[in-house]
Amino acid sequence: MNNLIIGKLAFFFRNLFKRKKDVRIGLYGPVNSGKTTLANKICMDWLGEEMGKVSVIPHETREIQMKEKVTIKKGKKSLSFNLVDTPGIATKIDFEDFVRSGLKKSEAKKRAKEATKGVIESIKWLDKMDLVMVVLDSTEDPLNQVNITILGNLDARNIPVLVVPNKTDMKTSRVSAIRNSFPKYDTVPVSAKHGHNMDELYSKLFDMIR
Amino acid sequence: MKLKIKLLPYENLKKYEFNSLFKDLKDDTIILVDAKLKSEEEAQLIKETMKKVSEKFSGIELSSLELSSENNINLFGKLKKSFVEMLIGKKRGLTLIGPAKIIRKIRKNPEHLMLYT
Repeated sequence: MNNLIIGKLAFFFRNLFKRKKDVRIGLYGPVNSGKTTLANKICMDWLGEEMGKVSVIPHETREIQMKEKVTIKKGKKSLSFNLVDTPGIATKIDFEDFVRSGLKKSEAKKRAKEATKGVIESIKWLDKMDLVMVVLDSTEDPLNQVNITILGNLDARNIPVLVVPNKTDMKTSRVSAIRNSFPKYDTVPVSAKHGHNMDELYSKLFDMIR
Repeated sequence: MKLKIKLLPYENLKKYEFNSLFKDLKDDTIILVDAKLKSEEEAQLIKETMKKVSEKFSGIELSSLELSSENNINLFGKLKKSFVEMLIGKKRGLTLIGPAKIIRKIRKNPEHLMLYT
């Protein structure tokens, strides 16, 4: 509850002199957690078009992507924001992994180089966000350093955070592990791929931004 | 391959601004720092790592441990912890940084770090 109030206050002061249309909501997280799948689901629900390409090969999103004026509705209320999808943050990028995923060596090297730039851009863009949805793969161990570093940097910048455990449709999904690891954050689990629990996610965005 | 571990004072890490760190990491050395890096320093380290990634150096594994979990202490405890950290100029804990080609994974438990090679 305290975090929600602090988050709202931080959001209010951050946007005191901004016009509402400038509100930026970022999607951050480790590689292959489903950020672009979630971005696509949100954009399909409210704009009728997708944001970007999704792939099982890591680092499919290697540049910042933004959809402007996404307007979501709840009853008679509406909320507009710019949705920013970011490349997954990682501490290592091995082009051999891409080769193993089926890419040619030259393509793999190119992808690795672009991916390193993408990680740097993601970190640089942290300062530009008004609210961040941290998208985590709920089938993975949540206590990895990338997750901790992302959340720590958002805290240090007083940027409101919504933790979104994704892939809840998978048998090995463990949302409770994420809640236990990061108890101070608001959490809304979803399956972006199947559109599960999206209404609660939209409702929470209203709560956090209003 | 012989495993090399370097114990590095946090003050030295700050002084060299990561430059000597990457020399050691590319030389297959695991670094143990006697403090928890600040979140901003971790982000900076990741950015610097990405600039150094090449065919021979794929990046790092990184994990930090705090001496006391913030979730388990009350307001007085937090104030005391902040005051002590202000006095000593670093966050109490430790940070493990290693080349990704040697360290496969670091599993973090709130109480300890487990390193898998």
